[in-house]
Amino acid sequence: MLRIEGLRVAYGGMDVISGLDLTLGRGEALSVIGESGAGKTTLGLSVVGLVEGRCSGKIMIKDMNILEAPGEVRRKLRGKTVAMVFQNVENSLHPLYTVRDQVAESIMAHGEKSRGAALARAVEILGATGLPDRWAGAYPHQLSGGQKQRALIALALANDPEVVILDEPTASLDVATKREIISLIKGLTGDKTTIMITHDISTAASFSGRLAVMYAGGIVEEGLAGDVLASPRHPYTRGLLRSYPDMFTTKDLQGIPGRAAPGVPGCPFHPRCTQRIAVCEKEKPVPAVSGGRLLACHRGGIAPLLVVEGLSKRFDSVRAVDGVNLTLYEGETLALVGESGSGKTTLAKLIMGIHRADSGAVTLEGERLADVRRAGFHRRVQMIFQNPGESISHRMNVLEAVREPLDIQGVGDAKERTSIVKKALNEVELSGDEDFLRKHPHLLSGGEAQRVAIARALVLNPKVLIADEPTSALDASVQAKILRLLLSLQEARGLAIILITHDIALARKVSDRMAVMLEGRIVEEGLTSAVINSPGHQYTKSLVGTSSE
Amino acid sequence: MHVNYWREINRSGFGRAGLALLFIITALAAVAPLLVRHSPGDYTGHIFHPPSALFWLGTNDVGQDIWAHLLYGARTSLAVAFGVSVLSVSLSVLAGGLAALCGGRADRLIMRMVDVLIIIPPVIVIILAAAYLRPDLLLLIALLAAIMWPGGARVVRAQALSLKGRMHVEAAGTFGAGRFYLLRRHIIPDMGPVLAAVLIQNARRAVFMEAGLSFLGVSDPSVCSWGKMMQHALKFSYLEVWKWWLLPAGAALSLTMAGLMYTGYALESALNPRIKREAGNVKD
Repeated sequence: MLRIEGLRVAYGGMDVISGLDLTLGRGEALSVIGESGAGKTTLGLSVVGLVEGRCSGKIMIKDMNILEAPGEVRRKLRGKTVAMVFQNVENSLHPLYTVRDQVAESIMAHGEKSRGAALARAVEILGATGLPDRWAGAYPHQLSGGQKQRALIALALANDPEVVILDEPTASLDVATKREIISLIKGLTGDKTTIMITHDISTAASFSGRLAVMYAGGIVEEGLAGDVLASPRHPYTRGLLRSYPDMFTTKDLQGIPGRAAPGVPGCPFHPRCTQRIAVCEKEKPVPAVSGGRLLACHRGGIAPLLVVEGLSKRFDSVRAVDGVNLTLYEGETLALVGESGSGKTTLAKLIMGIHRADSGAVTLEGERLADVRRAGFHRRVQMIFQNPGESISHRMNVLEAVREPLDIQGVGDAKERTSIVKKALNEVELSGDEDFLRKHPHLLSGGEAQRVAIARALVLNPKVLIADEPTSALDASVQAKILRLLLSLQEARGLAIILITHDIALARKVSDRMAVMLEGRIVEEGLTSAVINSPGHQYTKSLVGTSSE
Repeated sequence: MHVNYWREINRSGFGRAGLALLFIITALAAVAPLLVRHSPGDYTGHIFHPPSALFWLGTNDVGQDIWAHLLYGARTSLAVAFGVSVLSVSLSVLAGGLAALCGGRADRLIMRMVDVLIIIPPVIVIILAAAYLRPDLLLLIALLAAIMWPGGARVVRAQALSLKGRMHVEAAGTFGAGRFYLLRRHIIPDMGPVLAAVLIQNARRAVFMEAGLSFLGVSDPSVCSWGKMMQHALKFSYLEVWKWWLLPAGAALSLTMAGLMYTGYALESALNPRIKREAGNVKD
């Protein structure tokens, strides 16, 4: 029905849409989400043939390329075959005519000769969109926002088009009206090909079966709406979902670092992406289908960083860790919860190589860390310990302590090391002046000491941070600051965090996924919101139960 | 854990006495050439000359100045004390530290070696070794260190095992630190008090053993030694030379060992809270 191939649209030499492919069959509905400026509206305008920029590629509607069709043909198509509900409700209706007249005008423009028949049909359609007779004769200024939106939908559907583009149909509506409008649209467009453009993820989720995420003029991820929203695989999609408040996600809002810039070479998202590699700066990724999902990413979507398989450790007769499997993805927080003695810390120490595992394997970015710890492991994985006071040698001052990893790894010369240390201290909101650098740990407060420990873990610029009860020794206000700090680092650098804690309420606020440990095994694992809201295992139920008392 | 050794030792009377003794003996040994008219090996022209203004402690059977022997003997004793203690403690740290850090098979191997070395009677081994090798001073230091390190290694291993589990040591491990780095930067500094105690104890034993061995004739003939002085003096005990030949050498040896012992005791009582408390109770 609608087939878009290699669509490029440029305004003044700048690509707004750059090589977009899309195929929709009859009766299919697709939601397009993305930040403003992603090219969503331009996509809609090009399908209805109203775009002002230079277009190339193909937009095939019923085997006709409308980009090459002459103006007159396109005008005839518009309204009859393709219709669009425009974004700006206030400006899209003519203020001097009643809505009934405007709908009738559209019907007459497409061949209806009798004015009476057109008016009757207009009233019928307005009725179908929820505007009863008494409102049909009203002028736009007499209608409420929701009513105007209904009128606009009626206008678009007046000639029973086959392709409908809806551009932000619910942007300025309240929640109840929004829901009515969405179900109205769903009811009226069931047999049509529909594209819903929106930045509102909940609208997209409730509207269509398929969801496409646009960024900088291209589709970066597309798949079944439920799947995409539950487990986003493109880093941009995840960033978008994290920025969006809904009623289920328990983790605090996070954003996406940087902002969209036009004319970026290579993958358009790479300047903001925390998992970019060399090729991302050079080549634009080709969208490819994997696992029922269309993805445009050189890394194949959000990459698994740390994979733990069948890890076991016994201390004499005690099975401290018993066949644990875990996967930690780039830029996510995985909370490891459980009572003390459940093996959480042992698991962390096994990953860090402080203890040696009896069996099982740990893989970091696809490389197996068997018995021999490869050089470079410690640059990529770091740990924060439970008690900051003890994890920093009492003989070292702040400078020496934070510089220690650099000394051990032989990074740079003395001057560079000092400047890296100061930068790291600055990142954790500590002072980098000489007085502070010379302080010994016993002169620091608990919060300061933990920040120093975090700065020390960050100087090597790791991708994975294992935080073992990082705030259990701190009071609540300091704890909040430390966790916000970790989350902002996660946002800025794509830091993947394994947060070990016995505090479910804490894990709920900061983690994307949660794994519940009991007697050395992981008994339940899933999205934090899902685990908290509908715990499956008896132990999880009791943990959540006791935490909410 | 930051220990100011100087202050801790100076706090008790024992410590001050020990340090004073050691200081006096070391100073005398250091400026020995300025305090003697004749080198220890020189023939003065007088045999068995009793103490006088010229020869403060008289002369011996071959006409050498006993005062010079006494001072130069102190040099030997202190050199042995210093050399043996440093060398043996270094070996202890290396062996005990690595045993603790490596664990497993290496630990068992090193510690069984320590067990074996500890049960060997040292004097017999050294006499036999000396008979073969004709020891000079450096060899004697090496031999003494070789038989003294195992005891210290046990102490070091025990201490390192407990330090190894400290969070800051584990943290350093997560930065990719190797065993020698951990030992040097994290474990040895925290073992200061223990090492100081072992160091002083080894020094005391070394002084005593050197004297004993040279008394038995196991020593470099060209080197002055208190043990050798006593051995020679005993041969002429019928001449009453013991008053100025045997006695000063014995006294010097006793004072050196007392100095080391007092210092060690003061240090230990300052660093070991239990002894500290008991000492405090006695004072009350």
